[in-house]
Amino acid sequence: MSKPERIELHGVADPGELMARVLAVRSRELGRLQGALQSGEGAGLHDFRIACKRLRYALERFEKVEPSLAPIAQSLSRLQDALGAVHDRDVLASILPPALEQAERKLHRERTAFVEQAVALWAQTKEKARVCTLILFE
Amino acid sequence: MKWLKKAVGRERYALERARRRFIRRPTEKRLHDVRTTGRRFRSLLEDVTALLPLPKLLRRVRRAADATDAARDATIIRRLLEASVDEHEAALAAPLLDELRRREEEAMELAHHRLTRTRFAR
Repeated sequence: MSKPERIELHGVADPGELMARVLAVRSRELGRLQGALQSGEGAGLHDFRIACKRLRYALERFEKVEPSLAPIAQSLSRLQDALGAVHDRDVLASILPPALEQAERKLHRERTAFVEQAVALWAQTKEKARVCTLILFE
Repeated sequence: MKWLKKAVGRERYALERARRRFIRRPTEKRLHDVRTTGRRFRSLLEDVTALLPLPKLLRRVRRAADATDAARDATIIRRLLEASVDEHEAALAAPLLDELRRREEEAMELAHHRLTRTRFAR
């Protein structure tokens, strides 16, 4: 799991400034990890999910200061759920006895569907962030 | 800085309340509350560490998260396995299901043990 980047907060004196710096760093972290959605690789998707969580909590914390953040946080929450479902299937598949062939096929099918769902939800999240213009996932 | 200390204090007490509820009666729902309040608090401490460093508290929150994650993970994986096997494979899955139930109980006990010894606020 990737460690959170330390946020430089020198000179921050009010919640608005803190919000801008935290969201800039946490959204950049997420943007850097988005390639995992294309590769579909388990560890990369897990790191991406954790970065989603960090950004979502930050967004929820600042919703009172900036209510337009709420739809992005909700979108990230759905994305996180889809990625969590992928992770659960990876964990179970790694300990599943080879004799459980049907269960393995079912898990694989579901995993593929959840990755596709995550790709679509990520596109929606980016669009909401673009409309809000506060965050850009570069 | 007063506003930040206030925000940290609020989340710290929310986690402590959730911990006490879980210690009094350890249920899955109460464990979930400890995990969610703990994750939020951890995220806040990590975000503002340059402004308000609380390394000891952050370490305590991280250790508590590790203990509660194991219990929750075991439950989720057991439920997913139950939902993934059909009647033809049920017998083959039984030993793994038993093992997961055992892990779940152990992890819940460990979470209770750790959280009994960890305080987040007075």
